Amino acid sequence: MITTVTLNPALDITMELNQLVSNQYNSVKKVSRIPGGKGINISKAITAFGLDTMSLGFLGGHAGHFIAEQLREVGITTNFWHIEEETRTNVIIIEQNQKIHTLLSDPGPRISQRDLDRFMSIFSRVMAQSRIVALSGSVPKDVPDDIYYQLIELAHQKNVQTILDASGIYFEKALEAKPLLAKPDLRASGNRVFNKPVDSQENAIKIAHEIVNRGIQIAVISYQDTKDIIATSDKVWLAETINKQIVNIIGTAEAIIAGFAIKLMEEKKEDMSDIIKFAMACGLASASTDEEEFHTKDDVIRCLPCIKVTKLN
Amino acid sequence: MKIKDIMLKNTTSVLPDCHLGEVIDIMAIQRINGIPIVDEEQKVIGFISQHDIIKELLPNYLGIINSNSFITEFIQLSKKLKEYANYKVERFMKKNIITINEDDNEVMAADLLIRNKIHHLPVVRNGYLVGIVTMRDLLKAMIEEEENDKQEETQ
Repeated sequence: MITTVTLNPALDITMELNQLVSNQYNSVKKVSRIPGGKGINISKAITAFGLDTMSLGFLGGHAGHFIAEQLREVGITTNFWHIEEETRTNVIIIEQNQKIHTLLSDPGPRISQRDLDRFMSIFSRVMAQSRIVALSGSVPKDVPDDIYYQLIELAHQKNVQTILDASGIYFEKALEAKPLLAKPDLRASGNRVFNKPVDSQENAIKIAHEIVNRGIQIAVISYQDTKDIIATSDKVWLAETINKQIVNIIGTAEAIIAGFAIKLMEEKKEDMSDIIKFAMACGLASASTDEEEFHTKDDVIRCLPCIKVTKLN
Repeated sequence: MKIKDIMLKNTTSVLPDCHLGEVIDIMAIQRINGIPIVDEEQKVIGFISQHDIIKELLPNYLGIINSNSFITEFIQLSKKLKEYANYKVERFMKKNIITINEDDNEVMAADLLIRNKIHHLPVVRNGYLVGIVTMRDLLKAMIEEEENDKQEETQ
């Protein structure tokens, strides 16, 4: 089973209206309430592909109950530690007339040492039934910088493979535990990794090499919406999207992680270029829909011919 | 219908050394009536429900619930809860519990629930906890199946 961790989930409320006018009553045309968070999105993609997944992390209050129920509704197993403070809510206002998107981001709850201890206990137990775990996304207040490092160490003690998708200090500290695959979240880090810019293919390759040199088997750098660099200790690939329109990049990174998790969990490993192609097709399937994740296995299969993987020297 | 298609996919559980007070907290905050006890490998080794807790602390409560002495017994329950809040749940949990496999069907689940007079069945895959099924889940699934059947007939 593939387990995902979302330490800082959110309830994303999107409100669409013609135009937002200050100091006036504004009638909203459409509202949607969707569980958000990188790990949750990875679980949604894995479920859409028809595989079992369990989602772990912290939830709290009414928003937390709503998220857990929504996840179970689509077939995701939940084992969250419920905290006393409310799970954060993000409000996205879409003004259709001028195509303006405004995001109001909630700082989110504090996590006590007791909450953290209980979560670590759940994580450790769940590893017994996991083959691979994806650790991704932002970290709530009061959680130590090395949280992902600690979780990767715990997973490795139970022979569970690990995938890391994070940013900043949480990413760099976690690399010391040597996850199987590491993908820096460039969106959250302002396109910088190890304090260096990732603004070209050349720089992306350098960063990928630096990650691999730290003992990580696979490094993935999504340096453009349609281009990714993937490196192992002795090879580098460029994955590109061709002949397909990108509709919505939100959730693409998580779908790529889901794709890698699905293929890396298989006992009979495919060739690395095929694994990359599949993972990128998952990302493209997500980017081809208005929603955050693709809906079925067929969506992914249809995208496979639109991915070009080239081995670089 | 397979149990895995109708169970509640929530694997909230506690270790046997969890304190009774914390178990009650978890049940309250998660709005659940019972909780499986697992080992370090997430394999089910026991179960405790709110009913079990009250019965343990006030063995004859069912007999007194409609009597005039209920108020005094309730005070007694409150005292005992405070006294036992720091005791480990393993002291109170039901051991040798009945579980069901995720690939079994709803008839078997209903039979186990009714024959053993229990309200929750932990669902397992290779011994690992993967969910919980209750009579309410079975009834909901049966109603939905009937509605689906009717829709298919009309199409």
